Amino acid sequence: MTILFSEQTSEESAAQKPLHPWRKKPRKFTISVALAVVLPFLVVLALLLYSNIPGALVMVIVYLPLQLLAAGITAVYNRGVRSIGDSMIVVLAIGATVFSLVILMSVLLSLVVRGIGALSAHFLYQNSVYINPSTPLEYGGIGHAMVGTFLILLIASIIAVPIGIATAVYITDVRGRAVPYVRFFVQAMSGVPSVVAGLFILTIAVSTGAFNQSAFAGGLAYAILMLPTVARTAEEVLKLVPDDLRTGALALGSTRARVVLQVVIPAARTGIITAILLGIARVIGETAPLLLAAGNNDGTVLNPFDQAVASIPVYIFNNVALPYPDAVTRAWGSALALMILVAVLFTLARVLGRGRVGKY
Amino acid sequence: MSTAEFESVQTLEEQMVESAAPRDLAMDARNLSVWFGKRKVLEGVNIAFPERTCTALIGPSGCGKSTFIRTLNRLHELIPGAALAGSVLYEGKDIYDADVDPVHIRLKIGMVFQKPNPFPSMTIRGNVMSGLKLSGMKRDDHDAIVESTLTSAGLWNEVKDRLDHAAGDLSGGQQQRLVIARALAVEPNVLLMDEPCSALDPASTLKIEETIRELSKNVTIIIVTHNMQQAVRVSDNTAFFLAAENEPGHVVEQGLTTEIFSNPKDQRTLDYVNGRFG
Ligand SMILES: Nc1ncnc2c1ncn2[C@@H]1O[C@H](COP(=O)(O)OP(=O)(O)O)[C@@H](O)[C@H]1O
Ligand SMILES: [Mg+2]
Repeated sequence: MTILFSEQTSEESAAQKPLHPWRKKPRKFTISVALAVVLPFLVVLALLLYSNIPGALVMVIVYLPLQLLAAGITAVYNRGVRSIGDSMIVVLAIGATVFSLVILMSVLLSLVVRGIGALSAHFLYQNSVYINPSTPLEYGGIGHAMVGTFLILLIASIIAVPIGIATAVYITDVRGRAVPYVRFFVQAMSGVPSVVAGLFILTIAVSTGAFNQSAFAGGLAYAILMLPTVARTAEEVLKLVPDDLRTGALALGSTRARVVLQVVIPAARTGIITAILLGIARVIGETAPLLLAAGNNDGTVLNPFDQAVASIPVYIFNNVALPYPDAVTRAWGSALALMILVAVLFTLARVLGRGRVGKY
Repeated sequence: MSTAEFESVQTLEEQMVESAAPRDLAMDARNLSVWFGKRKVLEGVNIAFPERTCTALIGPSGCGKSTFIRTLNRLHELIPGAALAGSVLYEGKDIYDADVDPVHIRLKIGMVFQKPNPFPSMTIRGNVMSGLKLSGMKRDDHDAIVESTLTSAGLWNEVKDRLDHAAGDLSGGQQQRLVIARALAVEPNVLLMDEPCSALDPASTLKIEETIRELSKNVTIIIVTHNMQQAVRVSDNTAFFLAAENEPGHVVEQGLTTEIFSNPKDQRTLDYVNGRFG
């Protein structure tokens, strides 16, 4: 009879080394999986090389079904019929991931290939006064458009971020009677086409002479587009803050305003930063509102109220279809610069928003 | 409220006269009934809480103990549809009077919840000081407050070298003691605790019980617990709640803890404290 629960350490168990028994696979498993990966690939390679069916079509109507079939057969062979579903899901998931990565990469690649020629230090800080579409790439740049885009985004954020967060707080924490209407309004607002936002600012402000086409007007148009994104995302993240924290703060004798400002929003800080980023991402490439509300300019404009201002989307729009190769390269270069700007902004925000615990 | 109704329950005040010198009451719930929407969950609760004692509220799940304790610091009213009748006296005044500010009441009547809820965006020190900051109290001796409240909560030795670490890094038991320290920092006169140990390991539970016994020398404590031994260990008085199916909960019996546990007058109390139901 075995004795249960005795002291079971021995010299033998003390000398044990870490192993991974679950990684041991029989040879036939390794070989069949290798075949399932290599065979469909070879078929596709042959088709791509020796037939003139378009590549994309080969991938979709030949490779994917073939790979699914191969994975299914291997699964049945190795682990029985019940594992078919598993293997299909793995193949589809990997396929979908690769597909979206390929698309993303080809967008980036085409930007880099066509735009890299324009990138240089002076391209980033000089403006385009005295520059014609036919001027060679050694001269001029998009400094004015960078400054313009930056100003417009700043103004839009200053307006839309506080209002958006306040709207979210109204929905999640004030829980007033108008919540359903506010929600509906925000939802409706997120359906406003960007060109309509631009037209709106143009007609109520610019055409009436209230103020010029300017960074401020462009910022207002952008703010209209940013607001619903910020509000809805912020609402989602504020909802994730456990009610325990709110009750806990109230039980300490806190006013509701302090609960929101000192407990709820700090607890949701990373999420709030994401909300702001998504808001910026929503508008950063929008061209139509700026064509209408901000206009264009070859020089650098720092005063946000004064006069029409350049921006990267409008610059791209104006240059990309011109019959001068250098102008087209400049357009692609500024698109690339915009992407880099977005990447820098997002990285910065992530670093700032990292789960650091605040001092009291 | 009619006098007859009030006398139908033997009140603590009367028992205090029998057993010891009368003390002032910290709080006094009188003929309290509570509703969620149309549903009445508590009916005619009369409990007096003498100053600087610990009162245990016991009873099966769902009989309204949490609801009752949340009426004592006006948290109940935050739930949509909540309603209440009767009165809760604090320092002789009804906390539900129209001219009473609930924020002030919650400052004086602190609360510790079942689930530890330290503020994740703050450090350990920040959590202890958060009550002062949230309630807008100005104090200069921050370090002294942090040390004394964490000591009272039995946590000081474990965290004194890492006061600026995130509160979320602490274990569950430590977090619970941290929120006790947080509640103490605003110097409440009454501390409500709703099953403060139900999510904790035995060692942390014992530490918190020690803390409660120590605290009840200075603060009035009202604690909900499902642990009979705990009620015996920490409380001076006990009230037993019960709710029949689809009926509102009420207090079946209350009195000195020793009496309730050794010599209950009601059969249901006897059954409950001996673990025969609930
Ligand atoms: N927020 C609420 N809304 C509606 N009913 C509630 C709510 N909270 C508790 N109740 C009901 O009130 C009764 C008492 O609950 P509770 O006070 O939590 O009991 P206990 O703490 O004694 O277990 C239960 O029947 C419960 O379903
Ligand atoms: Mg409860």
